[in-house]
Formats: sequence, structure tokens, C-alpha cells
Amino acid sequence: MSIKSTLWERFKTSRTLDDCPIYDMHGHWGSFSGISMPASQFDIAKKLLLQSGVKRLVICHHHSLHSPDIGNAANIASVQQLPEILRAYMAINPNYPEVIEKDLAEYDSYPDVFVGFKMLSGYHRISVDDPRYQPVWEMANDRKLPVLLHTWKGCPYNGYEPVRKVLEKYPDAKTMLGHSLFDDWDIAAELGANFPNCYLELTAASQIRGAIETMMKTVTSEKIIYGTDFPWFNQPYCIGTILGADITDEDRRNILYRNAMRILGE
Amino acid sequence: MEFFDVNLQIGRPSIRQFGAVSSVAELFQELDGTGITRGVVWHIAQRECGADAGNAMISDAIAGDDRAFGCWTILPPLTDANVMTADFLDRMADDKIVALRAFPDHQRFQLSRATFGSFLDDVSERGIPLLMSFLYPMEWPIIYSLMKEYPKLTVVLCDLGLWGQDRQSWPLVENYPNVYLESSLVSLLAGGLETAVKTLGADRVIFGSGFPIHSPHAAVLDVLHAEISDMDKAKIAAGNLMKLIKKAAGK
Repeated sequence: MSIKSTLWERFKTSRTLDDCPIYDMHGHWGSFSGISMPASQFDIAKKLLLQSGVKRLVICHHHSLHSPDIGNAANIASVQQLPEILRAYMAINPNYPEVIEKDLAEYDSYPDVFVGFKMLSGYHRISVDDPRYQPVWEMANDRKLPVLLHTWKGCPYNGYEPVRKVLEKYPDAKTMLGHSLFDDWDIAAELGANFPNCYLELTAASQIRGAIETMMKTVTSEKIIYGTDFPWFNQPYCIGTILGADITDEDRRNILYRNAMRILGE
Repeated sequence: MEFFDVNLQIGRPSIRQFGAVSSVAELFQELDGTGITRGVVWHIAQRECGADAGNAMISDAIAGDDRAFGCWTILPPLTDANVMTADFLDRMADDKIVALRAFPDHQRFQLSRATFGSFLDDVSERGIPLLMSFLYPMEWPIIYSLMKEYPKLTVVLCDLGLWGQDRQSWPLVENYPNVYLESSLVSLLAGGLETAVKTLGADRVIFGSGFPIHSPHAAVLDVLHAEISDMDKAKIAAGNLMKLIKKAAGK
């Protein structure tokens, strides 16, 4: 198919569109040990976000996720450094329940920082349905908060089975399947269709042609969320994957900002 | 801006691939509106069926279409003399074949001087680009060793991916004058294209989309909106590849 899209034609000539802001629901911040990233530096990151018309980026700082000794202090400092764009998911590492208890107790002290929680189960090697996550899920479920999971095909910690269990148990949490169970697009779509508050998030997924079209055989574009893992993936490239998909411009708008605005209550 | 894509694939793989196209006509129909108007094309059968069938298929597919140039697969000359004939490089020119690919893992050979001997010296001398894709199993030590043995070889590193692509690939570009980076997944990294151009120069980056696995719209948009000069964009979009092809053709 040859793509016919007004948005594509407009984005080709203009890097940002006032009537199509970018809401990126899967971001990070700072450096990461396995990769050299230009945008791990604050000035470069800020410039790239502004240049690409990113109105909101919800992050979880790499250091918050990977160093309990740094913890969510890095998230708080980052959002406070760029509050006009950034919000954060509270990093949850179930290997340290005592840290979770302390963090949850302080959650309400930062209403301008935290919008929900981030679970990186594949890295932390504890399944998303493990009891050590329970206080977080209960809070998210009670308050209908967003939870961003890292999900991947076949992963024992965040593959289909454990993810389905938490969706069944905590149906009111706004659970976003980060990476959309990467390479299990139809299974992810099944979860999105069966659970009203389950969303499919596109980081890395949208870079594989056909992933979005496969999901949309089962779910509408109202269940699909734009994300980039920024400062990993580049905004123009990721926006281009949405513009190049065989969907309508209305679908593209749902994915690029409308759904996220609804989830964030903006 | 017009784009000349070094990394286009046609043919239907044995495992169904979304958006795969069977012909060059279908390919350019898919690319309509992206700005990609020309490209170096290979056929998936060159990897999955073999070089004998696949090379013939891509030659047939591009014949008569000015938008498409071809790419052949190489095999060890000692064992595969039916493909690697003495006039292999001369036949390339006859068939509008301007680049080579190698699949040492899938086709089970060593990409080394012991296996390829003077053949890759001739390829080096003529400046014919060898496209090495990291979409398929490929270890960095193979490329490092290859370049040590054939330091003048023209190599375009394609489908680099995100994880450490700069840490792995930039030293090759810095140390060997004819190593290039294909753009699609370089620009995948936030600020990656700008940083690569600033550090290595725009002359060392060649536009590629990775179609049909990856999005041509995304690859194009990233170059269009990169914070680099228009002159650098033009080099990356088409100029650098044109230069390589002309050099290989002795023009």
C-alpha cells in the first residue's frame, strides 16, 4: 500500500505541528551502562524534545530503575529540572520491598512529579504477579493510576501469562504493556481488547513494520499508546513509524497524543 | 529531497513478512510519496535459497527499471565456483549489479582471506561496496578481522540497531577509509545521526531504510529533520551512494 496521509505530508515539511502534539508515555532519563546515548545529556535531551514538539514525556530515570542506592530521587530531580515537559513513573524494584514501602508512603508528596509506576520485571527478575509487587498494584488499582510494564514475548517475568494475571486481578489500574509483548502483537492485542484499562505501548514495536496493523485487527487505535524509550529512540524516526503505518490520520492522532492525554487526565 | 536507498529488499521470505513485495514495480509503488526514488535492491532468496538462484532472480527483477540497481551474494570461490566464476565481477556490470552481500553465518563460511583470497582484493581495488547487515546473525569480530585483512575494502554496515552501535562501529569508520554507516538505525538513536555526522563526517553515512522490515517513512523523516546542514543531508540522502557506485563503475 502507498500511504495517503495529510499528517505525513505536513510532518515532512514541518518537524512539529501545533495541532498534533506528541505525548510520549515511555521515556527514560540519564545514562545507561550498555549504550552511548547523546541525549543522556540534559541539554541535548531538552533540545531534541523541544525540536520534536514533545509536549509530555513520562520518564523513569535509568538510575532509579537500576540503582536502589539512587532510587526515585533521580526521577524527582529530573522532573523538577524540566517540569514543563517531564512527569515520572515511580520506579519499582521488588527486590527491595523496604524501599517500595518508603517510596509509596512518599508518593503523594510529589503530585507534580509522579503519575504512576514503572515495573521492569525482566531486568529485576521478579514476575509482575509476584506478591512483592502487591502494594503497588493495590494502590494503582484503587486510584486508577497508570502502570507501565516492560513486556516481551515469552518472558517468564513479563510475558503473556503473568501479565494476564495482573490484568485480571487489578482491572482498574491503567496498565500499559510497554513494547506490546514484543513480537507477540496479536496476543498483546487480545489483552488490550479483553481488558478495558489495558493499553498497548509502541516502543520498539512500531519499528517493526506491520506490528500496528496486526494489533489493529483486534483493538482500535484508542488502545494504542506512543512511546520511544527516549533518550534511546529518536522522535522523528518513531513518529515516522506511526505516519508510515497503514492506518488513518485519526488513528495516528489517537496514538500520538489523544489516548495519552486521556490516561493522564490532561 | 530525493533519496537513494542502499538497503531495499524484495521477495517473499519462507516465513511470511508483513509488507514484502515480489517485484521492483511493487517496491516503488510502496515507496511512493516517501521521496525514495532509487535504490540498491536485493532479493531475500539470495539468503534463503542461495546465491545461484537468488542472484539470477535479482538480476531479472531489476532489468529494465532505471530506478533499481542490484546486489549479488558472494560465496567461497573454492567451493562455489559455479556462482563465483572467473568473470563474476565483470558480469556484475552487465547486470547493473553495484554491490555485494555476504551471509557467513547462514551460508556457513568464514568471511576471511583464507576463504576469499584475491577475490576480495579485486573487490577492494574496484571499490565495490560489500553490504554487511546486522539484521541477521553477525558478530563484530568478523567485521574487525575482515577489515584487518582487507583494509581497503568498501563496506557499508547496515541495520546496525541500537545497542552500542556507535561503540562498535565508529572505530571501524575512523580506522578504515572505506567503511560507511547505513543511516536507518543510526538515526534510530536520539541525536544519533547528528552525533555521527559531527564526529565522523556526513561523507561516511549512506541513506538506507531497511524496507520491508523497517519503515521507509521513518528513515526519511529522520534525515529530513536532523539538525545537520542541507548539504550534509543531500550527501546522506543520495550523494554518497552515487559517488560509490560511480567509483565502482570506474566513472
